[in-house]
Amino acid sequence: MIKSPGAGITHRSMFLGLLFLALLLPWLPMGGFTNYVLRIITTAVLYMILALGLNIVPGFTGLLDLGYVGFYGIGAYTAGLLAIHYDLSFWIIIPLAALNGALWGILLGAPTLRLTGDYFAIVTFGFSELVVLVLRNELWLTRGPMGLPGISPPSLFGHNLVHDWEFFYLALFLLMIILLVVTRLENSRLGRAWFAIREDEIAAQCCGINLIRYKVMAFAISASIGGLGGAFYAKWFKFIHPDMFKFWESILVLCLIVFGGMGSISGTMLGALLLIPLSEILRMVLPQSLFNARYLIYGLVLVLMMRFRPMGLIPFERAQADKALRARRRLAAQEKEE
Amino acid sequence: MFGGQVQSRPALFVHFHEGIFVDRLLELSSLFLQQLVNGITLGGVYALIAVGYTMVYGVIQLINFAHGEIYMLGAFLAYTLVTVLGLPFFAAFFITIPVCACFGVILDFVAYRPLRKAHRLAALITAIGMSIFLQNLALMIWGSQIKSYPRDILPGLFFRPALSFGDVSLSWLQVFILTVTVVFMAFLHLIIHRTRVGTAMRAISQDKVSSALMGIGVNRVISFTFAIGSAMGGMAGVLVGLYYNAIFPTMGYIAGVKAFAAAVLGGIGSVPGAMLGGGVLGIAEVMGAGYISSEYRDGISYAVMIMVILFKPSGLVGRQIGEKA
Amino acid sequence: MDLILKIMNLSKVFGGLMALREVSLQVEAGKIVGIIGPNGAGKTTLFNCLTSLYSATKGQIFLGEQPLLPEISGTKVKLIQQCALLFFLISLAWLPLSWSFFLPHTFYKLELTLLGIFLLGIRLLVARKLRRFQIWAWGVMFVLLGGDGCLAVWWLTHPSKLGHLAGTGIPLAYFAIPWSVFVTPFSVFLIRQLLVRKVRQLYGFRMGPDAITRAGVARTFQNIRLFLNLSVLDNVKIGSHAHLRSGLFSTLLRTRLQRKEEGLIEAEAMEQLRFVGLQHRVFDLAGSLAYGEQRRLEIARALATKPNLLLLDEPAAGMNPQESSRLIQLIGEIRKRGVTVLIIEHDMKVMMNLADYIYALDHGVLIAQGTPDEIRENPRVIEAYLGRGAAHA
Repeated sequence: MIKSPGAGITHRSMFLGLLFLALLLPWLPMGGFTNYVLRIITTAVLYMILALGLNIVPGFTGLLDLGYVGFYGIGAYTAGLLAIHYDLSFWIIIPLAALNGALWGILLGAPTLRLTGDYFAIVTFGFSELVVLVLRNELWLTRGPMGLPGISPPSLFGHNLVHDWEFFYLALFLLMIILLVVTRLENSRLGRAWFAIREDEIAAQCCGINLIRYKVMAFAISASIGGLGGAFYAKWFKFIHPDMFKFWESILVLCLIVFGGMGSISGTMLGALLLIPLSEILRMVLPQSLFNARYLIYGLVLVLMMRFRPMGLIPFERAQADKALRARRRLAAQEKEE
Repeated sequence: MFGGQVQSRPALFVHFHEGIFVDRLLELSSLFLQQLVNGITLGGVYALIAVGYTMVYGVIQLINFAHGEIYMLGAFLAYTLVTVLGLPFFAAFFITIPVCACFGVILDFVAYRPLRKAHRLAALITAIGMSIFLQNLALMIWGSQIKSYPRDILPGLFFRPALSFGDVSLSWLQVFILTVTVVFMAFLHLIIHRTRVGTAMRAISQDKVSSALMGIGVNRVISFTFAIGSAMGGMAGVLVGLYYNAIFPTMGYIAGVKAFAAAVLGGIGSVPGAMLGGGVLGIAEVMGAGYISSEYRDGISYAVMIMVILFKPSGLVGRQIGEKA
Repeated sequence: MDLILKIMNLSKVFGGLMALREVSLQVEAGKIVGIIGPNGAGKTTLFNCLTSLYSATKGQIFLGEQPLLPEISGTKVKLIQQCALLFFLISLAWLPLSWSFFLPHTFYKLELTLLGIFLLGIRLLVARKLRRFQIWAWGVMFVLLGGDGCLAVWWLTHPSKLGHLAGTGIPLAYFAIPWSVFVTPFSVFLIRQLLVRKVRQLYGFRMGPDAITRAGVARTFQNIRLFLNLSVLDNVKIGSHAHLRSGLFSTLLRTRLQRKEEGLIEAEAMEQLRFVGLQHRVFDLAGSLAYGEQRRLEIARALATKPNLLLLDEPAAGMNPQESSRLIQLIGEIRKRGVTVLIIEHDMKVMMNLADYIYALDHGVLIAQGTPDEIRENPRVIEAYLGRGAAHA
């Protein structure tokens, strides 16, 4: 029996509170470490964006996507190449990178989404590996192993963003946009269709939901968010290299959403917030010889989570129960007005 | 219209006329034949690994991502036995095989058995997690430098050619690999079709519940499947470590993907399919690397895999699966 | 005598088992028609064929005037086979040649021939699949033909580059010209064929379950298929998916259409839930409902799709007499709303009280049909299947 929502604070409000606190972060006194901490948190925010994007496919729709890094890389290189060759503004590059990601999402998704879950996962994996291979070998396009240096920083009203706190706010801003998009999707006809597909594909079809169409849409949107994240990454680091986009990144993002709770938005963000700084902490705490232990730990996290708490920290049902609770409160408020 | 050339017959027939047609053909194709030989050898190795994937998928419908890591552990184990303990190569070879079998059984017991009843996505994620865990464990234990067998430890015979045919040569090492592959494939075929366990494996891959009702100890047979698959995978690891003389922790990942592509190509769930797929993929990879582009060598496997899944998910041999029922 | 559903000689074969054999039945609009039969008679299979979860082997289903299953006419089949054969024959001559242009110099005649045979094998496979009207085969064929077409066009416009077949003296012009005469119009012809919707139906691309739901057929399932992790309200809201329009952009931009529709959906969902009596459980998760409530939720969800025809698969299974009386009342109310109901049921009390007309199936064959009284007396029915409570109905 699944418990019904009780009274109390929903996760949504907890997160909004956290977000508000985050706005104050650069002003907190942290000794000389402010920039360091800001960089870590910015990384965490970037991964939150990526995780929210990936969440749409296995979380909302129930399909395993192992090739997310492909879209991340496509977005990063799109941004990098556009910045270097055409010197476009950051604010134009972002939607272009997202669009490119969506395009590849559709191209990859349309023929493959009719396959069963295992096969789809493998095909996405193969695709992302091919993307990385192309990035590494097509020197005329991407300069291959020499990487793409000298990407110009983003600029706002003519002022170049260079400080860590500026990037921090930029990341937060992008996160807000993505959050808005994802929560709107969650509460819409589209989101409900995805949940239906996740829960029971056959019943979903019998409610008039065309499986392929919605799966492709989910995949394309997820890919576009991946592309957007990649574009931010390129502009932030100002240097990209094919080795930054290994299969490992896909697994990392998957780990984040598995740990936090596949399908629940707050869970996804919580997972990113907890695990990404953990990697930094491990890097500081462990001696150099055990450097790879953090990868080990991520692998272990996946295995242990699946064994003992496969629904993650904030399970999908919890998120749905919260949603229902909010709906109940909203309706009660409406009735009070009448 | 002929561009100014005064030729009354196509060039092919000119050669016949000159009487050296056969020689020319041989000369032009020696590269081809050498690549073919190399390809078949590599194909044999892929087949050995692919068989492990396909058998496990057949019985529990799980893609065992960690299978590549068992292959890698086999290579490292043999290397360690030879270099650290000083055992002769063949002894190391024959010790590694059962040890890898045990690894496989332990892997199943620890990671997959508790999730037998869980959602398939959960099992798949666990497999990925185990793969990453084992890869990095090996990285921590042995370091990331590429290891090679010192020349004098191995039987010198291996590197001399056994057969020569013009420019094409087949070394004793390749003969060894091919022999081992063929012998163990035959052995596997015997097990699957002539023993009770093999029949049980085939029964479970068709219908697990009924098999259990018939009194088959499902978990034990599954463990046995893992044991055999891992034994062959580990063996393949030793052979590849020897053949390319390079052993490193991420070798399992790369070879694993290719072997999986081979299994899919042949038809996942079908053992003869895996053998065939392995051979075909090995040849395709070597040919592709030789003739088209060596940078996209790995990409060929990925591309083959994607094409097969999209257009013929049942593979060359296997039954119709892969699309929604 | 308005026939909302007409099934004609429907057959369904699974491997060796004939689950349905030439079943014909008719349902008049506004009536409640029942289907009875022992377990394994093929009743749920019938529903699954109706809603396109299985593809029927033979026969036709008419929903009103519209046929649901694809018809494959003889002449069209021949046309496709001829196209496939032509494709194969042309490939025989052309394939190795077209590829020789692109390959690096290291390719020699032997390798070329082998590659040509390999690619020919692919075309052969595609041609075979075309005969079974598989859409991806069309796609591959277009790509291959399109590539060859472009090649031919390029060569026609650059005749000086044509040269000779690798190593021989045969001028490629001999092949390029006839090829271009055939290929491009051929590809165009085939593409046009595929785009015409009627042709798609003729060639065997059938309506999926979602299309059938949108056409007005809703169903419930023998083993409850609810969205357990979603709230009761969401379950019903998903039902109304079929007849709404807001998509990606209206969602993202919160357009007036979307907001209006969301309000409408919520109101409709609440109304359906009130209708089935679940208004006090609206915000609970579907998985936390009691069994009888879950059955009613499934019906509410099916009703939300605004069906003309409602298929109920054993709605009273596992219910106690009080619950089944309520169910009978509910289905009566559904009929009053104008929805035609086709119901599979084992519980004879429910069946006898509700159905206007009953069909009896056994082992995939229709063994009897008639009014409830006629069925009750029918010896074949009694012999095949002693209904639960038949004597008490």
